[in-house]
Amino acid sequence: MQDNPRRIATSSVSPMKAIGQPTPRIDAADRVSGRATYTRDVYLDGMLYAQVLRSPHPHARIRSIDLSRAKALPGVKAIVTHENCNYVWGAGSIAGGVQYNDDLKKITKQRRYAFNNPVRYVGEPVAAVAAVDRHVAEEAVRLITVDYEVLPFVLDQEEALKPDAPKLWPEGNISLTARNEAAPTVSKRGDVEQGFREADHVFEERYSTAMCHNAQMEPRSVVAHWEGDKLTVYTPTGGIANCHHDIARDLGIPDEKVRVICHYMGGNFGNKNQNQDTDLITAILAKEAGAPVKLEFSRKDDFIGMHGRWPTVQYYKVGVKNDGSLTAIQLRTVSNMGPYRKNNGGVAGIELYECPHTESTLFPMYTNRTTSANYRGPNDPQGYYPIQSLMDDVAYAVKMDPVDFILKNMVKDGPRTRFTNYTLDECIRKGAELFEWKKRWKPVAGSGDGPIKRGAGVAFMSFRSGVGNSSAVLTVDARGQYTLYVGVTDVGPGAKTTMNIIAADELGVPLSQVKVVWGDTDTCPYSVGESGSRTTIMTGEAVVTAARDLKKQIAEKGLPTGTGLLKASASPNPRVEGKTRNCFGAHFVEVEVDTELGGVRFLKYVAVHESGRIMNPLTATSQIKGGVGMGIGMALHEDLIYDRRTGIPLVTGYYFDRIPTHLDVPDVDVTFIEADDGYGPYGAKSVGESGMIQTPAVISNAIYNAIGKRIKDLPITRARILGALA
Amino acid sequence: MSTDPEKPTEQESDVTRREFLGTAGAALVVAAAVPGVAVEGQTARPAGTPSRPRTQIRLTVNGAQRRLEVDDHWTLAEMLRDHLRLTGTKLGCERGECGACTVILDGKTVYSCSYLAVWADGKSVTTVEGLAKNGALDPLQQAFVVHDAPQCGFCTSGQLMSAKALLSANPAPTVAEVHAALAGNLCRCSNYSRIAEAVVAAGAAGATRRTSGGGQ
Repeated sequence: MQDNPRRIATSSVSPMKAIGQPTPRIDAADRVSGRATYTRDVYLDGMLYAQVLRSPHPHARIRSIDLSRAKALPGVKAIVTHENCNYVWGAGSIAGGVQYNDDLKKITKQRRYAFNNPVRYVGEPVAAVAAVDRHVAEEAVRLITVDYEVLPFVLDQEEALKPDAPKLWPEGNISLTARNEAAPTVSKRGDVEQGFREADHVFEERYSTAMCHNAQMEPRSVVAHWEGDKLTVYTPTGGIANCHHDIARDLGIPDEKVRVICHYMGGNFGNKNQNQDTDLITAILAKEAGAPVKLEFSRKDDFIGMHGRWPTVQYYKVGVKNDGSLTAIQLRTVSNMGPYRKNNGGVAGIELYECPHTESTLFPMYTNRTTSANYRGPNDPQGYYPIQSLMDDVAYAVKMDPVDFILKNMVKDGPRTRFTNYTLDECIRKGAELFEWKKRWKPVAGSGDGPIKRGAGVAFMSFRSGVGNSSAVLTVDARGQYTLYVGVTDVGPGAKTTMNIIAADELGVPLSQVKVVWGDTDTCPYSVGESGSRTTIMTGEAVVTAARDLKKQIAEKGLPTGTGLLKASASPNPRVEGKTRNCFGAHFVEVEVDTELGGVRFLKYVAVHESGRIMNPLTATSQIKGGVGMGIGMALHEDLIYDRRTGIPLVTGYYFDRIPTHLDVPDVDVTFIEADDGYGPYGAKSVGESGMIQTPAVISNAIYNAIGKRIKDLPITRARILGALA
Repeated sequence: MSTDPEKPTEQESDVTRREFLGTAGAALVVAAAVPGVAVEGQTARPAGTPSRPRTQIRLTVNGAQRRLEVDDHWTLAEMLRDHLRLTGTKLGCERGECGACTVILDGKTVYSCSYLAVWADGKSVTTVEGLAKNGALDPLQQAFVVHDAPQCGFCTSGQLMSAKALLSANPAPTVAEVHAALAGNLCRCSNYSRIAEAVVAAGAAGATRRTSGGGQ
């Protein structure tokens, strides 16, 4: 077991003081002693408790709701339904599924409200009750009677494409683009037909990937509280600034009348850098009841009422020459978005390869399932698995070692894509060396005697590390004590420790001389929010800019006296002109597959990453290890299945979801190749999502090498392995 | 911030409170030493709450003896969190699947979401708040800090309590033994190898202390 990652510094990286040192989190003592306050740990005087009534039908029109028995129950203080809580939840359905903004709110036709009629999935909120305690609220929910007109439903995204499929929206089942057009999204380069004519071999394959729930450990909860016309919302959000603006916009009140607080959050993993319907519902309940309200989700509420990764079906056609070079890649993707478009529904992968002719067509389809949304590498693991599995097959078919095939065909720094720096080849070569690829990989897949078969696989990654706008405010007092205000919420990667390290290094003071204030929109400036693996890059850059400004002020004016403060505010908005800024990585895994029982065991897992300069190797390594763990769940276990007859979700908790446990996740041998491309704070790039992205692909390739059969559907369950071998 | 374990939210009826204080006098002295927790009314229910069967129980919470009147249907987790404001115990699923609510009851781990408060009568419960002594973190907590065992931190209390119970039974476990003993504690950040590292290190450090005659 390694205590620290292996670190290889390229020539661009010069040593620094705090940056690059393994640093325990500055809030770790709070996290291990129970003092860290998560949303559900907030208790306010006179606080009521809320529960949500959810639709039992996948598609139904609500004829009427009878609240009389619930209202008569002693202790019930407020009930809201679509009739009296008629607010648009803007971020819940967005034309085109792009990042939500004020203009998009105006044009989005397919609006999602806090409560919708018709209801479009099992679990959609129908009513919410606030009562003196959670038991009364639960009882009241059971006393509400709803008269439904049950409508036909569709669960499968390919079924939803058929002309006679039940329609979820008047415009049809293809989710509208940002211009409200009902058409698939097509992107192309060159002419794939010409590419296929030039090919010596053409491979065609269908892959599918499943819905996986974020399944963060903290079930969603909200505490909302009005003081006059000012609303305070405690809520688990990865982005207090965006959540804050979204709530104000949806409720039609000025931004300054809303305060959002999130100090600790029990896991993010995607699509939480905005508000949620629960924020609106709780705020309205609190207003109706005239008292603070805490809404608590059960684990089942969280599974069926939130969101997960969009399931996909992907049809690939690939042309290749005898020498292993690619001539064409064509992809048709049908994504299952559930009934509302929260995100784009796309899949990554084609951009990983140098190929003259490519074409990708995306059908983001509405269905009567729980809404799909961003989840750690939104487009990536479910995109990487099919294309890297298929390319692995191509490598065997043209009799090339998969590592050589990747080195030949992977995206290069060249006229087509200019990277700010490029280390993908180094990641792959270093990984192959550390993993002892030549020793572990079998040239003949499936070879070997006995029921337990070993195999090795490789997969790689090239993932956005863009720069952009975020803010920081830094002050210093007469004693030379610094206070850093950043709008991060520290959802797990350790953002506020990272910000502390960056500020301390730039100011040349110990960590303890900088106090970090975070997680509260009344005290913190705008932050980009903890999504897209960008907090270190964007908010970190703002911290550097503010620190430089403050140093200059101190040099000019000296430290303040008495109770005075010097203050620096920064909102840099840097750009990478004409280049692509990516982080890179390669994973190698050796597995053992039990061909009689279908089980998969991990023998060795090597991850080599270039994420620029590493700010804190301790937490960065944890991100990679944890990302691999999540990827294992997606590769082998997780699948939110539905009963086809009733449209009811069958996986509504951890037991059947089978997220990885202590017994499922191997220790990962992590190496960082460090570089400074001159962008971001001291060259820092993305880490958070990068550990997960290639994990399903690498496991798929190792299983193929072990058993000689390709599993073309995620998750690669025991049943699928045994089915392939039968 | 207004989220500290504040004074009890509401008054009980006078009769209940008098009876409660009359019987809880001895416990009051001990419990008053616990900062931020006032004994009277700590299991108070808000005005207007329907009357439900209640039972008086005695138990030890993090070393302090308590005499409490609890609703019969309260889980141990609900009593600890909502009524004693020991919110370090987390609720991740409330159906015995995730382990976030793990506490130590008479030396054994239980899921406090799946254990009734009344069943704890006469027993001794330790929560994550009970691990630190005199403001100093337990060596196990310290190892969690150094080895970056918490990511989001939501499962951490449960992992710590399972690990504490493991170390009591097996003071210097191997990585495999830690993973096996903590298999009932999920971590969606999948930080399992860090957690195991921390527990193994705490065990090894404890073994060194014992050998060198140093106590803790």
